[in-house]
This record gives sequence, structure tokens and C-alpha cells, in this order.
Amino acid sequence: MEICFRRTPLANGYLFMNKWSFPLVLLVAPAVVVAGGAPPNSGSVPAEVTEGRQIYEQYCAACHGWQGEGAADWTKPDEKGEMPPPPHDETGHTWRHSDAMLFRMIAEGWRHPFNKTDRLTMPAFKDILTDQEIQLVIEYLKTLWTEDQRRYQRSESQDVN
Amino acid sequence: MKTMVYRLNSGVSRLFLFALIAVMPGLVQAQSATDGQAVKALTTDASGALLVLRNSGLLAVEGQSTTEIPLPPSDSGAPPRSMAKGADESLYLAGPGLGIWRYDNASKRWQSLNDTLPDLGITAIAAHATQAETLYVYLGESGMFRSRDGGAEWVKVDSGPREPVQAFLHSDMPGSMESGWLFAGTTRGVARSMDCFCFWGDAGELRGTVTAIDYDPSAPENVYAVIEGQLHHSSDGGETWAGLKIPEPVTALTFSLKEGLVVGTEDGDLLSQNASGEWVPVHE
Repeated sequence: MEICFRRTPLANGYLFMNKWSFPLVLLVAPAVVVAGGAPPNSGSVPAEVTEGRQIYEQYCAACHGWQGEGAADWTKPDEKGEMPPPPHDETGHTWRHSDAMLFRMIAEGWRHPFNKTDRLTMPAFKDILTDQEIQLVIEYLKTLWTEDQRRYQRSESQDVN
Repeated sequence: MKTMVYRLNSGVSRLFLFALIAVMPGLVQAQSATDGQAVKALTTDASGALLVLRNSGLLAVEGQSTTEIPLPPSDSGAPPRSMAKGADESLYLAGPGLGIWRYDNASKRWQSLNDTLPDLGITAIAAHATQAETLYVYLGESGMFRSRDGGAEWVKVDSGPREPVQAFLHSDMPGSMESGWLFAGTTRGVARSMDCFCFWGDAGELRGTVTAIDYDPSAPENVYAVIEGQLHHSSDGGETWAGLKIPEPVTALTFSLKEGLVVGTEDGDLLSQNASGEWVPVHE
């Protein structure tokens, strides 16, 4: 599976071959590594978070945004009368739900009750992702929240249990 | 002849005086029971009696019988403004400067639930429709707080809708991600959120300052809101609204098992609809 990282001028392949190339590479390379994100199993990012991010980017990002930023104007119904995909980062409300509720929503899908259509705007993934993969996505989403939000969400998850 | 007329007049006078003395207490009581004071809040108790809050106090009204319930003790003398009934039929009263109190039916005493609240500036309260220990209070700029243990511990859960909340309720209307919905009457109209506090959105296009709000627990999609004395009804969870014609300006409302929708008015009256749909007084 492809490991996603942010593009930089060097990664695009525009490398000038002259006497300044080598020092330039030495100067810029650390920045490239940092901007590109840590490779898997680097020790700074747990493996399960990396895995969760990969699953998120493959199955969720197209609707919920590559950084979890959600659709534009997610607070208002769209032209079809459906509520757009909300953010999963600190600006959204994903952190307000327990692990059990998040799992259920990903597995079974969801339709906002006041949508003008009958379809599940959040599709069901129980036949596409394993239970473990769903858990990994949830663990990745938690990295997009503030510490206060993670604390609140832990308490919600405990109250449900 | 003159003597007879004199004796007759004296007798009638005495009779009139005795009759007046006999009915006077009833006249005084009937006068003070409503005294034209607006109904501030309404709910019902476990037996189905109407609990009526006015500036003069709190009364339990059942049929022809009216019983006064003393108000919570308050050093500040602040009057209650908001009333709610819990899923276990517990009665709650609250107001700015008063905080929130629960009434214990067995001991007939009020218990303060203010220990862990940041201040006593409560302007509205709501009780979870099905979870007896879950309560909500609105503390203005301090935000919305929730207790899941009957008021022992309060946690801030949200800032609330953008506009100040005048009244709010928790409903078990289906379709929520969590356990129900919150409907808040604000200075803009009715705001609605699932009780995860995920997002406060407008409930329809109803605009104006909502001073009272309630829903029909037997048909939860039916929500009622009061704006400037006018009662409005939604049958679709707040998506659309229609005005209802009531003969007097409404100031409070509740649902009674016996009477159905009961409204309290600016003049202190209690009205409900008869079989023909006319608004008639609830006997008090």
C-alpha cells in the first residue's frame, strides 16, 4: 500500500544538477523528511495510527477531507437536502461520541433524520472493513483532536461501558 | 307595621352578615390562587396533578383541590423561573440566583443541587426524557452543563446555541445519534441538537424570542413553542411550524395525561382543549 506524504519541490523531481545541488540537498533534506511525515514504524507514530490513517485516506478522505476537515458548509443541507460530511478534526463533533457509537456508525452507516432523501449518506463499511480496521480508523481520528477532546471522549466511552 | 319591617330588615341583615362570613375565606382563597398572575411554568406530578408556578408560589392542582408547595429556601430570595420533571417524576425548580433544587416527595423538602455548579445564574433547565439521573442546566455565558448523577456533579458540555436560551427541553424523539434531542427556545427561535451536543441548528424557520417550549411525550415529533404569547406547533420535529389560535396570550405549557396539552396564560388561567377543539378553562 502506498504511503502518503506531502509533495515538495524535490519530490516533484525538479532537481538542479550543479555545484550547489549537494549542499542544497543536505540543507533541504531534513525539512523534506519532516514535511513528509514519519515513515511507518518510525517509533514516533504508533503503527496502528499509521495503519488507521492509511485506511482513512483510502476509504474516508474523499468525503471527510484528507486532513479530516469535512465538506465545505457541512452545517447546512446541500442542494439535495442532505447534511454534508462533517469534519473529524477538532472543529467537528466526532470527539463527542463514544468508541461504541463511532464503531456502529462506521459499520452500519448513518442517515441524518432530517435529510430530504432516504439513502445512507454515511455508507456502511461492515462488509468492506474488518472490525479491527474500523477500530484502527477510530484510533487515527483521535489524533486529530485536542487533549481536552480526547479526555471528554474517553469519559463518554467509559460511561457507555 | 313599622316594628315588623324593622325586625324583618334586622333579620335579613344578620342573615346576610352570617352568609358573608361563611363564604369570605373561600372568596379570599379563590382570589389569591390566581390573582391574575401570569403562569411562569407548568408541569405535572406523578399523580397527574398540574404543578403551576406563578410569582405568588407553586400550587398542585388536581380537580377541585389545590395544594400549596413551599418554594426552595433561598438566602437571596431569588424566585424560581424554570421548572422540569424528571424521568422518575422528580420535580426540579431553578432560577437565576436560586440555582437548581429537587423536591423530595417523601420528606416534602427541597434539596440543593448547586454544590458543583460554577454559579447560580441558571436561566433554564431540562431533564432527560428517559434517564432519571441526567439533568441539564443553562448558565448563560457560562454555557450548558450536564449531570449524570442526579445533580451531584455537573460538567460543562457545550456553550449552547449562539443566541441566549430562554427555555429548553430534552426529547426522546427517534433518530438521534445518542439518546435523544435537545430543543432550545432562544431569542432567535427554536434551536435543535442531538443530545451529544454535536451541533446546534435552527429547527425550521420560526423566528422570535421563544419563552416556553414543550413536546408531546406520546408523539415526540410534536413540539410546541411560545413566541410573544402565540403558540406554535410542529408535527415534524421542528422542521415546519404552524400557529395555533388560543384566546389568551400563553406564557407556559405542559402535557398532562388527563388533559392533554395544557397552557398557562398571562392572566393566570389554565386552558386545555375539549373534544371539540375549543380552549376551555382547566378547573382550579
